[in-house]
Amino acid sequence: MQEVVVLGVGMHRFGKTGDAVVGNKSVTELCRSAVNAALKDAGVSWRQIQAVAAASSRFSGGKGWGLNGNDVVEDFGNTGIPVYNLSAGCAAGGNAFNVGYSLVAGGLHDMVLVVGGEVMPKGMIQTSGVADNNDPEYLRQRCVGMPGPAFWAALARRRMFEHGTTEAQFAKVTVKARKNAVGNPYARFQSEVSLEEVLASPFVSDPLRLFEICPVSNGAAAVVICSAATARRFTSQPVTVAASTVATIGFDDALPRSLAGPASSGHGYHTEAKAAVLRAFEQSGIGPRELSFTELQDNTCYYELAFPEEWGLCDAGEAESLLEAGQTTPTGRMPINPSGGFVSFGEATTAMGVFQIAELTWQLRGQAGARQVPAARVGLAQTNGLGGNATAAILKR
Amino acid sequence: MAAVREACVPGLFTEGGTEDGGAALLGARCRGCGTPYFPAPSHCRNPDCAASNLQPCRFGGQGTLWSYSVANFAPPPPHRYDEPFKPYVIGVVDLDAGLRVVGQMVDGVGEVAVGCRVELVVAPLFHEDGKAVTSWKFKRI
Repeated sequence: MQEVVVLGVGMHRFGKTGDAVVGNKSVTELCRSAVNAALKDAGVSWRQIQAVAAASSRFSGGKGWGLNGNDVVEDFGNTGIPVYNLSAGCAAGGNAFNVGYSLVAGGLHDMVLVVGGEVMPKGMIQTSGVADNNDPEYLRQRCVGMPGPAFWAALARRRMFEHGTTEAQFAKVTVKARKNAVGNPYARFQSEVSLEEVLASPFVSDPLRLFEICPVSNGAAAVVICSAATARRFTSQPVTVAASTVATIGFDDALPRSLAGPASSGHGYHTEAKAAVLRAFEQSGIGPRELSFTELQDNTCYYELAFPEEWGLCDAGEAESLLEAGQTTPTGRMPINPSGGFVSFGEATTAMGVFQIAELTWQLRGQAGARQVPAARVGLAQTNGLGGNATAAILKR
Repeated sequence: MAAVREACVPGLFTEGGTEDGGAALLGARCRGCGTPYFPAPSHCRNPDCAASNLQPCRFGGQGTLWSYSVANFAPPPPHRYDEPFKPYVIGVVDLDAGLRVVGQMVDGVGEVAVGCRVELVVAPLFHEDGKAVTSWKFKRI
């Protein structure tokens, strides 16, 4: 296996359709911007790219078939290179990174572009809408009416029962996240919010409020990866991939994903996320307490509290006190989402796994400006997506 | 006024009667590994099950509220409701029968708590053409 280096990264700032940031730019235009930035950062030309792994959306671009990678290649010039279009819900960007990583690690290609971009439809992410009595997601909407935020809210309410988390503590996660994003020129929201503002925002699904749930956004991110041997021609301080993993949901998963499953007495958690992350620790030989920082999927503030505990970054029930002691800020002892996270970016589903790699790289290079984690040496990135998909990556310097 | 009652989706649940244990979900249980299912799949999906042996199984009766959330805004179609939209509680219930299942609560916002005891019922989701279209729900006991 070859050691893999992240040579260049690039991003288009996230925004909302029609605003001054993304306007009415297409997915391809957003990706173009991110890819150009990544190529420039890497110091390579389009011609040098040997393969493309693209997180591909069902929402827009890709001729309606999730062929966004082909749109990117056509836009930059058809060189006939292999294109891999990855679909994994909100984990697609992480899957694309893993495929790109695997191509380089396996010695098949030595300069690979990983890209993800999205123009999201308005409002809450919907199911396919096809009336199918065999589709548990359709049944869940027809027979119960339980959209995505209600699932997160049930997990949040359970945490309040298991650990006594208060509404104010959930809100403090958002306050911290938005404060981090003030130092991030790529975040959609770059201004602070106060605790009062978060607690005054309306419930979307009690106990979770509007400001505590990430909206949907348009955005794109791209990274160029290559072998460590090739990277030596470009840099003397490479950012290396210590692990890249993908996992799916376990049969014993006890969270209410669809209509019903076996009841369970233990703590309910995302089995796919834990599996991907623990495999990454194992693959890299780096443990959860050795991380300099983590970029995790915060569709809602609940995850900033639950995930670190579930993965062993801190003890069960410790997350709230770490948050309130300021230990999850970039200068704390367990920095979580120094980028500002999904809640500050909004979710452009296919871009997220790639945006995380870019943030990890900037942090490890010391290029993260006001949100810099001091002496960052190793970072963890994690996503999870519909279908029970999850990814994790550990980068180190 | 008694309305004609019609299940929102046929074959998933029954109102039942006094003779058969009352309201129940119509699912299945694998005799091979004991896994309960709702809705019933075509075969057991437990990767460690030696041999799929699915039998129809009714899940009803009492349970404990594992957690809940509130639908503060109307979900998009295919969900339907009587106008004007009124927020409702969604329960995640551990039925004593061993199934963890989601469903609306009959009880209002603020009337339930994690850990409270509930029972499965069949109740209207919305009304149309003089019918009450029903689904399974949970009621605090």
